[in-house]
Amino acid sequence: MIKIKNLHKYFGKLEVLKGIDCEIKEREVVCVIGPSGSGKSTFLRCINLLEDITDGSIYIENVQVNDPKTNINTIRAEVGMVFQQFNLFPHMTVLDNITMAPKQIRGLGQAEAEALAQELLKKVGLASKAYNYPEQLSGGQQQRVAIARALAMKPKAILFDEPTSALDPEMVQEVLDVMKNLAAEGMTMIVVTHEMGFAREVGDRVIFMDGGYIVEEGKPEEIFSNPQHNRTKAFLSKVL
Amino acid sequence: MNFFDLDWHSVWNYRDMFIRGIGITLILTLSGYFGGIIFGLFLGLGKLSTKKWIYWPCKIYVDLFRGTPMLVQILLIHLAVIPTIFGHSLGYMVSGITALILNCAAYNAEIFRAGIQSIPKGQMEAARSLGLTHWQAMRKVILPQAFRRMIPPLGNEFIALLKDSSLVTVIAAPDILYASKVVAGATFRFWEPYLVAAVLYLVLTYGVTKLVAFVEKRLSTSYVPRKAKGRVAS
Repeated sequence: MIKIKNLHKYFGKLEVLKGIDCEIKEREVVCVIGPSGSGKSTFLRCINLLEDITDGSIYIENVQVNDPKTNINTIRAEVGMVFQQFNLFPHMTVLDNITMAPKQIRGLGQAEAEALAQELLKKVGLASKAYNYPEQLSGGQQQRVAIARALAMKPKAILFDEPTSALDPEMVQEVLDVMKNLAAEGMTMIVVTHEMGFAREVGDRVIFMDGGYIVEEGKPEEIFSNPQHNRTKAFLSKVL
Repeated sequence: MNFFDLDWHSVWNYRDMFIRGIGITLILTLSGYFGGIIFGLFLGLGKLSTKKWIYWPCKIYVDLFRGTPMLVQILLIHLAVIPTIFGHSLGYMVSGITALILNCAAYNAEIFRAGIQSIPKGQMEAARSLGLTHWQAMRKVILPQAFRRMIPPLGNEFIALLKDSSLVTVIAAPDILYASKVVAGATFRFWEPYLVAAVLYLVLTYGVTKLVAFVEKRLSTSYVPRKAKGRVAS
């Protein structure tokens, strides 16, 4: 469903991604792990072109994302994103956060959009918070709203950029549980994470990145129990 | 003249001129301000553009109008620009409002630019990641947040413009200061008319200051409406 070919990314003179090749199938949950600065977040942000890519190509459902003729907004509407810092819109209620994009882009009416939002809030366990503002919610609740906001566009895939890294430890689980349910429903997910437990339990595949390369990838049990590369071993020995 | 020997009759006799002056000052200031907000918004957005052919004209405009005295701008517009374009003067009102809009827009552009840039990058990214266009994201997400942060500097700009509007006296616009000048010229008394002008400007700016403070208090602290404040997340 998502195909990445020879992806290179420079920030000025610094090469952050040094040729990434990768394919993500429909309904697959891919967890990207690796040390900070390894390029994993940049990799994720290149997929929906939040970072413009220096070289290579990305295809989503056979449409080349980085083709100048492609309307990137249509692609982004199909690929949700969840951020480390939640990035909820502070001036809108929880409900408006979720209904805004469907109304603007999908042309949903107010009633229709609200019904959808309520249903999604129920799904992430926050039905009672529809009329609260983001600042009234805890971090874990905000992140669950952010997931509901992404889901409201009925995306074909969701990109998670360290979704639990900014959370207090006791709130990590509630967000992971929501993500686990999504995975079970068959959502295509790419998750950049430091939660090795989640990667092991929920991931169909784990990608280990370091220094701008994909060093190793495979089934979680292979990567976690029997890593092939020294860098993978060194990293896992520190985080497990 | 003895300070304690003021004769307010001279001013009182010309009260109609002062009342008209207040009207003219307010019309000039309000027109200039709201025109300046609309034009300034486009200039500010232009200064944030990554396209050079948009950025540079906006930057040069802002630098020109912030770097030259408003008095010079008013005289140029009234005596040179408008007569050249239209063949004759269009009166103090057109010249005055034009000058105030053009000048105010340059200052507002910087306020808008700074306000927009103060919104965390993640807000734009989140909006764009949902599929919104740049302009949709601006309108729905960035500007509503940025406007709150712009309230204090926009209030300051209003006060500055209100005072600067007195410069249109040089093109014989009958504003507050002009009334004072007329009274001074007719009566040869200077304390009373100019003191009255000072007090009138002070009253107007003080009112605006209070209004801005009120709006700021209502909006700048929290997005949560007061009546919903009780409902805290559990």
